[in-house]
Amino acid sequence: MAGILTLTRVEDDELVARVVSKQDTVAFGELVRRHQSQVRNFLRKLTGDIATADDLSQDCFMHAWDKIHTFSGRGSFIGWLLKVAYTTFLQSRRKSKRYSEILEQMGHAMETDARHYSVQSDEVTDLDKLLAVLDEEERAIMIMSYACGLSHREISDATSMPVGSVKSVIFRGKQKIRTSFDIKDHQHG
Amino acid sequence: MAERIKDAEDRLLESMFEAAPIADDGFSAAVVRRVRRGLWLRRLAVPVAALIGGAIAIKPLTGFVIVVARLSTMLPPELVNSATTMIPQAPTIVLGAMALVACLLGLRSLEE
Repeated sequence: MAGILTLTRVEDDELVARVVSKQDTVAFGELVRRHQSQVRNFLRKLTGDIATADDLSQDCFMHAWDKIHTFSGRGSFIGWLLKVAYTTFLQSRRKSKRYSEILEQMGHAMETDARHYSVQSDEVTDLDKLLAVLDEEERAIMIMSYACGLSHREISDATSMPVGSVKSVIFRGKQKIRTSFDIKDHQHG
Repeated sequence: MAERIKDAEDRLLESMFEAAPIADDGFSAAVVRRVRRGLWLRRLAVPVAALIGGAIAIKPLTGFVIVVARLSTMLPPELVNSATTMIPQAPTIVLGAMALVACLLGLRSLEE
């Protein structure tokens, strides 16, 4: 218990160093505890489904454990973690797309489209409506920027896109939102 | 977002994207459990594979040893004697090398 309490004061970079050098699962647990909320929120917004997002979050942290030695410490740890989360999300999308392709080849019709965003909840919020007008890439980048507060440079690292492209995707996303919703009306309630 | 000046639209989007923090509720403990399970499985994989491999290989291996033993009796005694007279410490050297390899492998598995 005392060990966990002292870890709460330790910086992310030092915890990462402990994980890399000693395979310290307690230090990794502290990193998970610190960042699980942001990762889960990111994936919940990206998938629109709480259960899928939480499963993907677990997979994301498992990948993070395996790949933690590749974290260079150049950017923030949460930026790197969201990169892992986004890659995990894309991999699962590719798998489900391949799965539906196989089913289609076998003559089974699949109604789900890998690129389609649908909220698996009874309650559809303004944000859900807003995210539905964006494509997958725009959605991920807008969430990273406005929900997770990542800089353009960090988003560029996370998505392996040039900073200029990140800026144009954000610009395009904002334009789509502007044309689909009356932002000024929303501002006034 | 610190690298650029936020306008009203940015602030509005930020407020729309804002979400309440999600409570851990055992999530991090579940992840750590999965990580530890994976570690144990990896540690056990090599010895278990070696045991299974050994169990499978024991029958053909004993046959092979018997064949080699029979062949060695067929070797001319002058050839065997000349090898020991040329390098008298040969058996000790071979035994030492085998012990060294076993120690190195043991140390490596302990480190892992």
